[in-house]
Amino acid sequence: MSSPFAAILQTLTRQRGVRASLIVDQNDGIVVDSNLQIGQDGDRVAALAASLYRKARLSAAAARLGRASFMHLEAERGRICAAGHNDLVLVVVADPAANIGLIRVEMMRAVGALP
Amino acid sequence: MTVVAVEAWVEAPLRRFVEDARTVLALLLHPSGQVVAQSGFARAIDVMSACALAAAIHASAGELGRQLEGRPFRGLHHAGRDRQLYLAEAPTARGPFLVLTVFDQESSLGLVRMYFDEFSRNLAAAAPPPPRNAEPVLAQQFEQDLNKNLATLFRRG
Repeated sequence: MSSPFAAILQTLTRQRGVRASLIVDQNDGIVVDSNLQIGQDGDRVAALAASLYRKARLSAAAARLGRASFMHLEAERGRICAAGHNDLVLVVVADPAANIGLIRVEMMRAVGALP
Repeated sequence: MTVVAVEAWVEAPLRRFVEDARTVLALLLHPSGQVVAQSGFARAIDVMSACALAAAIHASAGELGRQLEGRPFRGLHHAGRDRQLYLAEAPTARGPFLVLTVFDQESSLGLVRMYFDEFSRNLAAAAPPPPRNAEPVLAQQFEQDLNKNLATLFRRG
């Protein structure tokens, strides 16, 4: 049986350069649903990305910048993008060469569909 | 965060786990309830009661898991309002050890589970071979050993 998030995750993972997409509980850092390419460690990505997103959100609030809507981490061998809605975080892991603009548009569209 | 251990080889893996997972309290013990190392506890009495409770919960949850799934549960998580606990077993050449971890909003269950897996591997790698003439844990020695370990952890005696 597919979860209510399967279509959202499939759309994101179809983007060129996307290695994994996950819906994660923001507080627990636990995977709710995921669409992963072989070799991706979903549990590890979920725990770290949720922790980063939570801290980014708190930092934005502490700096009086308002609500954080999108987080993008660029590293040597890949990128992590996160966007949150209520207690859920949508996380995407992508190649360094992936088109982050397109991924961001798809993520913001998808996050609006989260409960 | 300070880590104090009765057996020196557990200290480095536990310290790394405590730092990485940002735990509030951590307790390493034998499944019998005998304390091996602790971090964050201020009083020996708290360590003693936490060890006894953790060992009992682990034994009960293990048996429940065996009845439901044919094998013990891997880990146990309880979420409180401000603090959460995670209790899990780390196997080594010296036998299994239990780790009771208490964490707050500075960490998360996902992070604690992830770093616990790393800790478990590091502990297994650091474990010296079991002694050839290991003595069984006997009820009459238990309290004496527990008091000795608590004295070591809290620098008494």
